[in-house]
Amino acid sequence: MPMPQHPSRRRFLLGMAGLAGLAGLGGPAAFRALAAARGLASRTRAGLAFGTTVALTAAGPDPAALDAGLSEGFAALRTVEAAASLFRADSALSRLNRDGWLDAPPADLTTMLGFALDLADRTDGAFDPTVQPLWPVWAEAAARGDKPDPNRLREAVARVGWRRVALGPERIVLESGTALTLNALIQGHAADRVMAALRGRGITDAFVDTGEFGAMGAHPDGTPWQLGIADPRRPEAMAAVIAPFSGFAATSGDYGTSFSPDRADHHIFDPTTGRSPRGLASVTVTAGTGLLADGLSTACMVLGPEKGGRLVAQWPGCSVRFLGKA
Amino acid sequence: MTRVGRGRTASNALRSALLALLALVLAAPLAAAGSLDRAAMERHFPAPLVVGERDATLPVWPILKQEAGSYEVFAYAFESIDLAPIPGFGGTPPDLLIALAPDGTFRDVKVIAHHEPVFLEGLGSEPLFAFVEQYVGLSARQPIRVGRPNARGSGAAPQTTVDGISMATASTRVINESILAASLAVARAKLGFGAANLGLRVEARPETGDAPTVTELAARGWLRRLTVTHGRAEAAFRDAGVTVAGDGPAEAPLVELTFAYLNVPAIGRTLLGPERFAALTRELGPGDHAVLVVSHGPENPLGDEFVLGSIPDRLTVTQGGLAVNARDMAIERRGAAPGLPDGPWTILRIAGAAGFDPSAPWTLSAKIVRERGQIFPERIAREFSADYALPAALFIREAAEAGPSWTDPWRARAIELGVIALALAGLLPVLAHQRGLVADRRRFPLFRLAYLAFTLLFVGWYAQAQLSIVTLVGLVRAATVTHDLTFLLYDPPSLLLWAFVIATLVVWGRGTFCGWLCPFGALQEFFAFLAKPLRIRPRTVPPRLDRALRQVKYVLLAGILGAAALGSPLADSLSEAEPFKTAITLYFVRAWPFVAYALGLLVLNLFVYKGFCRYLCPLGASLAVLGRLRLLDWIPRRAECGSPCQLCKVRCRYGAIRPSGRVDYPECFQCMDCVTIIHDPGQCVPEVVARRRGKRIVPQPVAAE
Repeated sequence: MPMPQHPSRRRFLLGMAGLAGLAGLGGPAAFRALAAARGLASRTRAGLAFGTTVALTAAGPDPAALDAGLSEGFAALRTVEAAASLFRADSALSRLNRDGWLDAPPADLTTMLGFALDLADRTDGAFDPTVQPLWPVWAEAAARGDKPDPNRLREAVARVGWRRVALGPERIVLESGTALTLNALIQGHAADRVMAALRGRGITDAFVDTGEFGAMGAHPDGTPWQLGIADPRRPEAMAAVIAPFSGFAATSGDYGTSFSPDRADHHIFDPTTGRSPRGLASVTVTAGTGLLADGLSTACMVLGPEKGGRLVAQWPGCSVRFLGKA
Repeated sequence: MTRVGRGRTASNALRSALLALLALVLAAPLAAAGSLDRAAMERHFPAPLVVGERDATLPVWPILKQEAGSYEVFAYAFESIDLAPIPGFGGTPPDLLIALAPDGTFRDVKVIAHHEPVFLEGLGSEPLFAFVEQYVGLSARQPIRVGRPNARGSGAAPQTTVDGISMATASTRVINESILAASLAVARAKLGFGAANLGLRVEARPETGDAPTVTELAARGWLRRLTVTHGRAEAAFRDAGVTVAGDGPAEAPLVELTFAYLNVPAIGRTLLGPERFAALTRELGPGDHAVLVVSHGPENPLGDEFVLGSIPDRLTVTQGGLAVNARDMAIERRGAAPGLPDGPWTILRIAGAAGFDPSAPWTLSAKIVRERGQIFPERIAREFSADYALPAALFIREAAEAGPSWTDPWRARAIELGVIALALAGLLPVLAHQRGLVADRRRFPLFRLAYLAFTLLFVGWYAQAQLSIVTLVGLVRAATVTHDLTFLLYDPPSLLLWAFVIATLVVWGRGTFCGWLCPFGALQEFFAFLAKPLRIRPRTVPPRLDRALRQVKYVLLAGILGAAALGSPLADSLSEAEPFKTAITLYFVRAWPFVAYALGLLVLNLFVYKGFCRYLCPLGASLAVLGRLRLLDWIPRRAECGSPCQLCKVRCRYGAIRPSGRVDYPECFQCMDCVTIIHDPGQCVPEVVARRRGKRIVPQPVAAE
């Protein structure tokens, strides 16, 4: 189980609002003035979810619809958390890990797990939702300021394997010793769910930051949404800007939770070795759904640029950017 | 004036008093219920702060601030009553709005609602507001204690002590507990620390016999280097359009820092030498940590204008994502650490209270700052860091010191407790041994006056141990609502007295408290001495009226306890029928209606001796009810008592002896007057008569009917 931690202070995808944001002019007041000139209101609501900060922005002519949409967006986030957040001991996924089985799993959980098992199949296990047993081994070692004991690590790796999960519509069963994490997918899937909730309210312009990102339409000032990709080693610096940005984007990297000072060991594991993949600092994938973007970015961290590039090419409309370790 | 007329006067006074009381009840503000909503939170945390969506599992609002396209947590805001409803002195938990920063420091503490009797109408709420403000800037990672007033000014650790408020010791401790318990609940869930590592001390093992060289230290990673090359710096500033001035090839270092954790002898002694290391160890306080940083690149992040003893603004030690307060110790470099590169250095002290764990990994970051633009130059900063970790085996971990904080008041008030305990122990034999001091017609009244003076001055005004109906209200609330009795533990002298009173209640009845240990009762007794010089004759209340008035206190008691059981704040208001808070707790420094009421009761006492005690006191009523458990009919009676002799009945100032000679124990204040009489051959009429007849008779306790 991941230890509760305070929301990550470093973010590597930075939501950016329109051209004004890029040029460093104005500020929120300038946006509002531009938006007001176009007869649009915009609303932003922020909060905490999945152990990090999240922010939902929606724009449109009817402020009441925006407020309603954002409330439903947050309700959707809470539903996803209740289904699969490992930060919550009472989530359906936490209960599944604890008991080894779960009856009547919530739809969010079956959707994510179904996608995860399919991706594991396609990547031949490079992406694997059953790496959870590796976490405590690394986290406890890191707390001691040490590396994991090789025997414990070997024992944990033996418990990893996506075929040890039986997913049915009424029941999920895990083989003994198996534990799941959907942290690689949950933020992307949450972005999908929020976006659907906003669309359901007739909102067409929105920017969603659930830890991963989604955007539709345009900024209320009329300019396209943009997404900055920060340099993992230098959080203030911008490695690239995706503009215009619409659809979904997800980044995986070695920076989120590092177990070693050089960031060689981190929270993404190669399921075959139980260690972190070497070589890449971060991967950013854009895709038509947050779930896909999030899953592919994690898979690409493990696969590396060459195999990862080939994997992403299987889905039309997806693109990937790799950043090597400095 | 006829007797009946006088009785009416007394009852009129009482009626007026009750009307005044009713007015107070109606005027008392009702308790604020419920929690703050989003709008209220936004008022407390206005823009540019953003009130985030309320947490899904805890009643906590994240307060965010926007930072470069994303949000950061500024604080977690919550109400203490939602997380730690610790009943206050009046039995109702205080409600405090607390904002806890992600690093565990208090950003804000405000009082939303409280029912602390001492502040309501008494001291006023201002001292309480000032009290909670002291928490801002302190860290919830360490236990915080309430000291004496001005404790900080007189040398108590300012990171772990807040100044108390005299007269409000119990209330401030409950508020301290509420703040800490609620904050720890949030810290455990949100910040990854809580009771478990609160007060945790991790210290370097003193000696391991290990004496590595500087090179070996570096090889082990115990002495690390943070190097920022020109090339790396240029790249970091490129997007900002700033050039990093300074010449040299891209791979040449711009900033170069060598750093180490010094407390471990194998590191500290090797780097500083044995003498310097010993001196450093002496200078560090217990639990403090020292980190050495030597700057030997062309650019010095300490800055040329670095002030000795200050906190370097371009160097930060962080652990678990939280910045740790590290201050330069102003130790001179000259001749020290010959094995290290030359250059300016600092030894940073991390206070033991900072919650730093040297056995866990931490990070040293150095900031490089450049200016952009010429007319209004903008400062652009880039941070570079290096991690540091030592093996856990080098350290001894000590769990937080045990002992919940309710023990503090017991320790702090040990002397008061001792004095009171001695006084109580001294009272027992006097009351039990009726042929001793009690029978001494001259010395016993002096003893009694001295004892009452002690009760009023020491127990009441000094130790603030006036027992009160408020405690019973708290008990009822604990039984029905809060299920928490710990509030009793925060007021040791009162608890000691309660224990004694309950014990004597079973033996003798309510009189031991009402006649000897009630400070307001003592005050009335002294006040009654004014009657003679003022030429006020005590009025006799006609027996029927007297019997009716005696019932008022039971009605009042039932009202108060009923309201408490129903959770009604009316219980607090009705408890104001007691003048104890005004007269004893607050020394009559209070809003005038309360003072007028208390003084009115004292004046009433001149006409109807202890009228308040006999007719109104809800605490006395509760003791009278419980006093039915009394085991002994301890007042000796003779066959002649009541028939024909009426001496004791007439002399009893409390009307507790019936014409039949029977003692009305629920009304008896154990003043011992009648006991003195019965043991005095010169006073007790039957004995005087018997002696005249040449016989000697022995008084016999007569069983109560």
